[in-house]
Amino acid sequence: MTQPASLAPSPAAPDAELPLIEVEHLKTYYPIRAGIIRRTVGQVKAVDDVSFQIRKGEVFGLVGESGCGKTTLGRTLLRLEKATAGQVKMEGRNILAFKGDDLKALRRRIQVIFQDPVGSLNPRMPVSDIIGEGLMAQATAENGWADRTARDKRTGDYLEVVGLRRDYARRYPHEFSGGQRQRIGIARALALDPEFVFADEPVSALDVSIQSQILNLMSDLREQFNLTYLFVAHNLSVVQYISDRVGVMYLGKIVEVADVADLYAHPRHPYTVALLSAVPDPDPRVRKKRLVLHGDVPSPAKPPTGCRFHTRCWLREQLGNPEQCSAEDPAPRDMGGGHQVACHFAEQVSKSVASETIHGVIASKTQETGPVVAGA
Amino acid sequence: MTTDLDPGAHALRAGVGDVLLDVRDLRTHFKVMDGLVKAVDGVSFSIRRGGRLALVGESGCGKSVTALTIMRLIDQPPGLIAGGEIMFNGRDLLKLSDQEIRKIRGGQIAMIFQEPMTSLNPVLTVGAQLTEAILLHQETDKKGARRIAQTALEDVGVADAKRRLDQYPHELSGGMRQRVMIAMALSCNPALIIADEPTTALDVTIQRQILELIKDIQTRTGAALLLITHDLGVVAETVDDVAVMYAGRVVETGSVEEVLLHPRHPYTRGLLESIPSQGKRGKPLSVIKGMVPNPFRMPPGCKFQPRCPYQWGECATGEAPLISLGEGISSRCLLHDPRFRDRLAAYDTPMGDPA
Ligand SMILES: Nc1ncnc2c1ncn2[C@@H]1O[C@H](COP(=O)(O)OP(=O)(O)OP(=O)(O)O)[C@@H](O)[C@H]1O
Ligand SMILES: Nc1ncnc2c1ncn2[C@@H]1O[C@H](COP(=O)(O)OP(=O)(O)OP(=O)(O)O)[C@@H](O)[C@H]1O
Ligand code: SF4
Ligand SMILES: [Mg+2]
Ligand SMILES: [Mg+2]
Repeated sequence: MTQPASLAPSPAAPDAELPLIEVEHLKTYYPIRAGIIRRTVGQVKAVDDVSFQIRKGEVFGLVGESGCGKTTLGRTLLRLEKATAGQVKMEGRNILAFKGDDLKALRRRIQVIFQDPVGSLNPRMPVSDIIGEGLMAQATAENGWADRTARDKRTGDYLEVVGLRRDYARRYPHEFSGGQRQRIGIARALALDPEFVFADEPVSALDVSIQSQILNLMSDLREQFNLTYLFVAHNLSVVQYISDRVGVMYLGKIVEVADVADLYAHPRHPYTVALLSAVPDPDPRVRKKRLVLHGDVPSPAKPPTGCRFHTRCWLREQLGNPEQCSAEDPAPRDMGGGHQVACHFAEQVSKSVASETIHGVIASKTQETGPVVAGA
Repeated sequence: MTTDLDPGAHALRAGVGDVLLDVRDLRTHFKVMDGLVKAVDGVSFSIRRGGRLALVGESGCGKSVTALTIMRLIDQPPGLIAGGEIMFNGRDLLKLSDQEIRKIRGGQIAMIFQEPMTSLNPVLTVGAQLTEAILLHQETDKKGARRIAQTALEDVGVADAKRRLDQYPHELSGGMRQRVMIAMALSCNPALIIADEPTTALDVTIQRQILELIKDIQTRTGAALLLITHDLGVVAETVDDVAVMYAGRVVETGSVEEVLLHPRHPYTRGLLESIPSQGKRGKPLSVIKGMVPNPFRMPPGCKFQPRCPYQWGECATGEAPLISLGEGISSRCLLHDPRFRDRLAAYDTPMGDPA
């Protein structure tokens, strides 16, 4: 397997800002154990040699197939998961090596909004304790969080910030709906005054109006406190709205990174094209043609050789299954303007009929001939 | 307002024709420390045989509680079914004995939950769970059940079904687990499938596969679908009819075209205007201002009144019933009360003619 080059922003990018987080060749593998003595018999390569940067003050959107490693990547940045290899630098220092006071400070500076609001809130604690606990752990002389009244006030303030009532602090998690619980998770993260927030599907459990409230709130807080976000979501309209740059993951690898407008207008990776074409449209009159991916997602314990997407790639199929796809791991390449793509044939994507499907203008003729284009 | 719909289609819509599920004025409350939460407080809708209805609405408005009440899965206490009827195939589910409802649950009515991991047993193989469900609801032996299980997995597009039967849930990807849930739900030929956010945790390509699958099976078997989701894109592409909920009530019903293109209720209109889209980047998204009402201090009139941009004096005191506007369309808003026809004219303009 060839070693992919780093996905550093190209020096040509005009607005290349200071990176806050630099991820370099990061790998996080989970052991697969079997037998009575739980011997390790293999590894799930959840994050497999990923490099990218998050600039200070930006929202970096991360999208990709269920199970491709987005949560694992975020958890590794937060030191909740042990990296197998690679580095994560924050302001130039490798946070994976932090200990003691550095690590404690890091635990406040980096916060997470968990994907699963049900599993992440202790059912035996009232909301006041759920939020207060984190404040207590980070109490200092300056912030005064050691004081119960100060904590309760801050808890109430942040419940209001996320659109809940102050008096909800006395309630327990099971007394809330899914969306309300998600907002408790957001309040808990933001109450700690973080610099960097890993938001793992923060709005997918919410109705569109509350979702919009939360997105507005996250944007406001970002401006007010110069927050930086790593924002994971399956809803591509949400990602498009909130992100400055977007990374696309497939089976443990980042296959494309670009500015948000560039990525949505000119996706270069065949997987990104498929992803964008699958977005459902809320206008019932729109009946667009879809690009349907065939086959199952391969196991991250046994990723395909060469390009990991080759077993399901429509472009490879259109090109007559070139050998290169299954033999060689495509290294990320710069297509100009910091648009990085890991596909041997990225140049062919824009010319292919499939890319037209995203704009819903595919002709019926191509539908008959194009092997990968299926009806909605 | 004009519509470009085939009028014949409406004859089949909820309310007319062969109704499978008819929920009438359902009320499910919870006793909590501070008092009574009226989570569901006047929910009415119906689904015809083979029909597809989406239940949408604000987080916390009572969609899941409605679904759980239909399945009779509300613990009492703290829950309390304070009123209403759930007519299913002509029988009121609320009046059935525990034993009768257990036969229906997972049999004639199947439910798919948002998080398959919490509804699958982690220590049992996929095959063990499937055969257990099949043995409970169908006349067959262990071997037959395993055969049915394998076919069910194949039907939902699980490759290598035989091997999968011997795997544990954690060995499957999220999309695969959701398929197993669907296979389980469908193995007993239900007449009604209730799916509560079945694809929220999945990426759009797998979401598409799953939705196509549910629709496909549903068309093949003639089962009806009650879909709960926040994704209005999914609504537009999956169902025929929509019921919109707010604060424990159904506030609007109609065909998917009518509700999404000509929203009658101000809440629905606010909801649709909140959808993020390409053009809105860099600008704050439009939201419905204000907060969901305090469950212990519900406004006396229309529950949406404190947040409604169209409200007037009448709304603070009077609450409209679900006013039928014909063709399955209804709205729980005083604007649709014939007494206030002049106000409705003003309301109808802002969103413009979608045609
Ligand atoms: N604790 C664990 N032990 C073993 N494997 C794991 C563990 N956690 C995750 N995995 C596996 O690692 C891979 C990546 O999982 P991860 O949760 O990071 O994906 P994701 O992109 O966040 O998916 P989703 O969109 O469904 O949330 C998956 O194959 C998953 O099954
Ligand atoms: N066991 C319970 N005890 C007390 N209150 C409850 C209980 N279950 C639900 N509720 C309350 O009932 C209301 C409706 O909850 P429900 O879960 O039905 O909302 P939902 O419409 O499904 O929301 P979401 O879209 O966020 O999932 C909420 O206000 C919730 O706090
Ligand atoms: S490298 Fe080949 S298989 Fe991979 S995405 Fe590009 S065309 Fe498809
Ligand atoms: Mg995840
Ligand atoms: Mg719910």
